[in-house]
Amino acid sequence: MAAKRHHWIVRVTHWVNVVAIIIMVGSGLQIFNAYPAFARKGELFCCYPFEHKAVPAWLTFGGWLAGARNWHFAMMWVLVVNGLVYLTFIYLHGEWRDLVPRKGDIRDSWQMVKFYTFRRKDHPHQGKNNALQKTAYFLLPIFGMLAVLTGLAIWKPVQLAPLTALFGGYVWARYWHFIAMLAIVILSVGHVFMVFAVDPYSIKSMITGNYDPSLSPEARNARPFYHLFPRRARITPAPPPESM
Amino acid sequence: MSIDPRKLVSINGIARRDFLLRGSGLVSAAFLAACDSSGPKSAEKLLRYAERKNLVIERKLFRHTSMDVVQAGAHDAGNKLPSYFVSETVPVWDESVRGKWALEVSGLVGNPMKLTLVDLQKLPRVSNRVNHYCVEGWNAIETWTGVPFAELARVVRPAPEAQFVDFQSFDDDYHESWDIESAMHPQTVVAYGLDGKMLEPAHGAPARVFSPVKLGYKNTKYLTKIVFMPRMNGGYWTDRGYEWYGGT
Repeated sequence: MAAKRHHWIVRVTHWVNVVAIIIMVGSGLQIFNAYPAFARKGELFCCYPFEHKAVPAWLTFGGWLAGARNWHFAMMWVLVVNGLVYLTFIYLHGEWRDLVPRKGDIRDSWQMVKFYTFRRKDHPHQGKNNALQKTAYFLLPIFGMLAVLTGLAIWKPVQLAPLTALFGGYVWARYWHFIAMLAIVILSVGHVFMVFAVDPYSIKSMITGNYDPSLSPEARNARPFYHLFPRRARITPAPPPESM
Repeated sequence: MSIDPRKLVSINGIARRDFLLRGSGLVSAAFLAACDSSGPKSAEKLLRYAERKNLVIERKLFRHTSMDVVQAGAHDAGNKLPSYFVSETVPVWDESVRGKWALEVSGLVGNPMKLTLVDLQKLPRVSNRVNHYCVEGWNAIETWTGVPFAELARVVRPAPEAQFVDFQSFDDDYHESWDIESAMHPQTVVAYGLDGKMLEPAHGAPARVFSPVKLGYKNTKYLTKIVFMPRMNGGYWTDRGYEWYGGT
């Protein structure tokens, strides 16, 4: 039995976001590699252990600094508009209620961790998302907004000087921009891993919108790589008929 | 102080291309044939469109009252600029070959003139301790001494239709054109001094344009000509793919 799970606006913005984030991260790392450090010239920077170490080229996009900048400054509008459409929709349509933190989320998250680490036998009861998912889907737009604001701060450090100052000046704004990116990458990688390891059936729901609750992780009692396939009712062969 | 993105082309462009070709075989080669390692070719138009839209937004956002402020406690960069920013051969004005250096200010102006270094030094002088924002992502604190561009404009009297300015150099074909409002920003100077000393060849001697409202590559070193123009005139890095506006 399939139930409607994701509105088409959520599905479209989700996949647009996939493309936008991949290109923004790739081109951002290419730009970063032009000066893979945070220290102002003539100074040292306290809080980044890999100063002057370029990130691997296979993580970058855009080919060279100018190419990456052109992609970054074009795709940023896709990211912003797409994000605004999504946030406006979940606000008007009420989905935000599934994502805002509530009392008990920490307790529920802990129960999920216990379940995933085999210290709890049965899947905690959940609504649309489990407590860990809820936290991740709530944090992602937060870090997205941080990425956009810090991005504006380093794009226009003179014209938007108050914004840049709010983040601690150009060097720190650039750092927070990097940290926001890192947070988005970590959440996204975790999300994709869990989709494949726990609930691959949700991929269909993000494309067609339909989700079969009988295949939910809760119904399957699924941990990463455990009970990936739905449990079938055990078929007990009928006893051989008594001889006539 | 324009960093040398020429080197970046070779480091990040060619090396990466080699890496991709050698490392990932046919799939990458096929991808590269279609995409040239900087994304699909068909996207080029879209990227140009985005740049034009960004330009409109950036120029609308621009205010002469928005000033670059150096953060409290920030240290002067001094000579701790990146090691690769000075090219191996620094362009030097050779008087025995080219005669005395003079800066030509011309184009759509009522009073075109040629200014020697001494002439420049006689004009009103400012010293701005400001940020140098590089396209690569670093910034540096420097003190630039020179003539405010707005003072120079007052002397040569640009026509109202002079909406753009081209800064040209004797360093081969290096030049970058600007929007007039960025040139007229109070922190834009035609500089002949850096950090309390006369400008050295490595930093663009005898004179160069400098403003914190533009990224380093827009700030032409080794100036010979400032031309007021009715339309934009590209630039060295602009013609090679960097965005024309390059504003902070």
